[in-house]
Amino acid sequence: MFWLIVALLTGGGVSGLLNPDWPIVGPLVTSVKTQAIEYKNQNPLGLVGGDAGHESANTAGAYAGPPVQSASALGPNDKILMATFNIQVFGESKLRKPEAMAVIVEVIRKFDVIAIQEVRAKADDILPRLIAELNADGSRYDFIIGPRLGRSVSKEQYAFVYDTNRIELDSASVGTIGDPADLLHRAPFIARFRPRTTDPDRAFTFWLVNTHTDPDDVPEEVNALAQVFQVMQTARPDEDDVILLGDLNANEQQLGDIRKIPGVQWVVGGGVMTNTRQNKAYDNIIFCAPATQEFTGKWNVLNFEQEFNLSREEALRVSDHFPVWAEFDVWESSGAVH
Amino acid sequence: MDDQQKWRLELQNSNVEIRATAAENLCLAGSDSVAAAVDLVVACGDVEDVQNWAAAALEDIGAPPVDSVDALESLVSSSDPLVSYWAVTLLGRLGVDASRSQVILGKAVSDSPHPSVQERAAWALGKIGATEASVVESLKKAAASDSPRLANLASRALA
Repeated sequence: MFWLIVALLTGGGVSGLLNPDWPIVGPLVTSVKTQAIEYKNQNPLGLVGGDAGHESANTAGAYAGPPVQSASALGPNDKILMATFNIQVFGESKLRKPEAMAVIVEVIRKFDVIAIQEVRAKADDILPRLIAELNADGSRYDFIIGPRLGRSVSKEQYAFVYDTNRIELDSASVGTIGDPADLLHRAPFIARFRPRTTDPDRAFTFWLVNTHTDPDDVPEEVNALAQVFQVMQTARPDEDDVILLGDLNANEQQLGDIRKIPGVQWVVGGGVMTNTRQNKAYDNIIFCAPATQEFTGKWNVLNFEQEFNLSREEALRVSDHFPVWAEFDVWESSGAVH
Repeated sequence: MDDQQKWRLELQNSNVEIRATAAENLCLAGSDSVAAAVDLVVACGDVEDVQNWAAAALEDIGAPPVDSVDALESLVSSSDPLVSYWAVTLLGRLGVDASRSQVILGKAVSDSPHPSVQERAAWALGKIGATEASVVESLKKAAASDSPRLANLASRALA
C-alpha cells in the first residue's frame, strides 16, 4: 500500500518525476499504465515494502527505499551490474526444485538489477517467494512485476528484481508500454531506476525496457521494439538513457529496425551464444551509445553451467537461457541530459 | 522404448505429476521433441503445470512433421483455446506443406470464438498462402475487422 500511495502522491512531478498517466507521442506507444495495483496484488505475503526501511526515502520524489548503506560486497561502489534473464517457465514447478532455485538465487545475487522474463503462473506469490529466498542471507532485494501478458490463454509476466542496497526504483515510473495496434505479443514492461549513491542528483538514471518477443513473429516485433525504444528516448526531456533488454529471439543480425536507431549499441554479438545449448544468441542488452556513456564496456554471458559445474541437463532445469549482463558507472556521464 | 516415446506416453498418464514431468522433459529436450508436436498440443488442454511446459516446448520445436497435418487439423476446432491456438500455429509453421489446411484455417478466421485463434489463423494463412475463394473471402472480412491485429494479419495474408 505504501508504494501505491507514493506513486499516487508523487506522480504529479515532484523533482520532475514521471506521472504514470503521461502521454507519450509516438506511432506505437500512446500511454503507460501504472502497475501499482498489480504490484500490490502480487504481494500477498507482504514480503516487499513491508519493512520500515522502505519508508525512509533518502531523497525527494518517488524514489523510495531503505536508507543509504555501504555498497554490497558484490561489486565496486562506483559501478552497477544489470542483467537480463529468461528463467524458462518460472512458476510453481521450478520453485519446487531446490537445486534449480539455488542456482537462480546465486545468479541473481551477482547483479544489482535484473530483468526477468517468463514468469508463468496463475499464483501471485512466485516473486515474493523468490525474494524470500534471495533475502534469506540478509540481502535486501525487492521486485516489481508486470501484468500477465500474451495473446493466448498461456500468459507470462515480466519482473525487475533489484538490490535495494544498491538501486532505487522511481516508483512513479513503472508501467507497461501501450500498444494500441497490438504489434507485440507481450508489450514491454518499463521502469526507471538509479544507483543508490551519496549524491542522488548526480546519479545515473535510466529506463529499463524489459521484453520477450514471440518467436513466430520476430521480424515484426523487433521493428515494433525499435519504435518503443525511440518513443522511450523522448518520453521525458530529462532522461536520455534507455536500455532495452530481454529475450528478443533474434541475434544481432536479426534486429531489423533496431539496427537503424542512430548510435545504437548491443552488447552480445560476434558469435557469442546466450542459450544453455549454446547455439542461439537471443538475449541482449541494447542502448544508444552516445547517450549512455555510463556503459563501461564490460559485459558477458553468465554461463551458470560452467560457473556451478552443472551437467547440461541440470543447467537446462534452471533455464534454457543464460543471463546476459553489462556494467555501468553509477554517475551520470558529464554533459548528459541525465 | 526411447525417452521421447516414454515421455509421450506419460503425457497420457492419470497422475498429473507424471504428466507435468513428461511435458517438462519434452520441453527441456528442445527441438528433439518435434515428433511429439501433436501430443504437446493436446497437452495444452491439461492443468496448469502440464500446460505451461507444453506451451513452452511448442515455442521451441519449430515446424512439426508434415505427417502431423491431419492430427493438427482435427485440433483446430478444439473447445480449448490454447489447443486450438497451437494447432493453428504449427500448421502455419509448416507453410506451403500445410496448404491443404487453408479451408480449415479460413473457418477459424471467420468462426473461432477466440480472438487469439482468429488472429493466429490469419497469420498462418499468411505463411501458407490463401488461394481458395472461401478463404480469401474470410480474410477480406477479417481485414475490415475492428481488431487492428486481425485486420493487419488478414491484410498481410491477402497481399
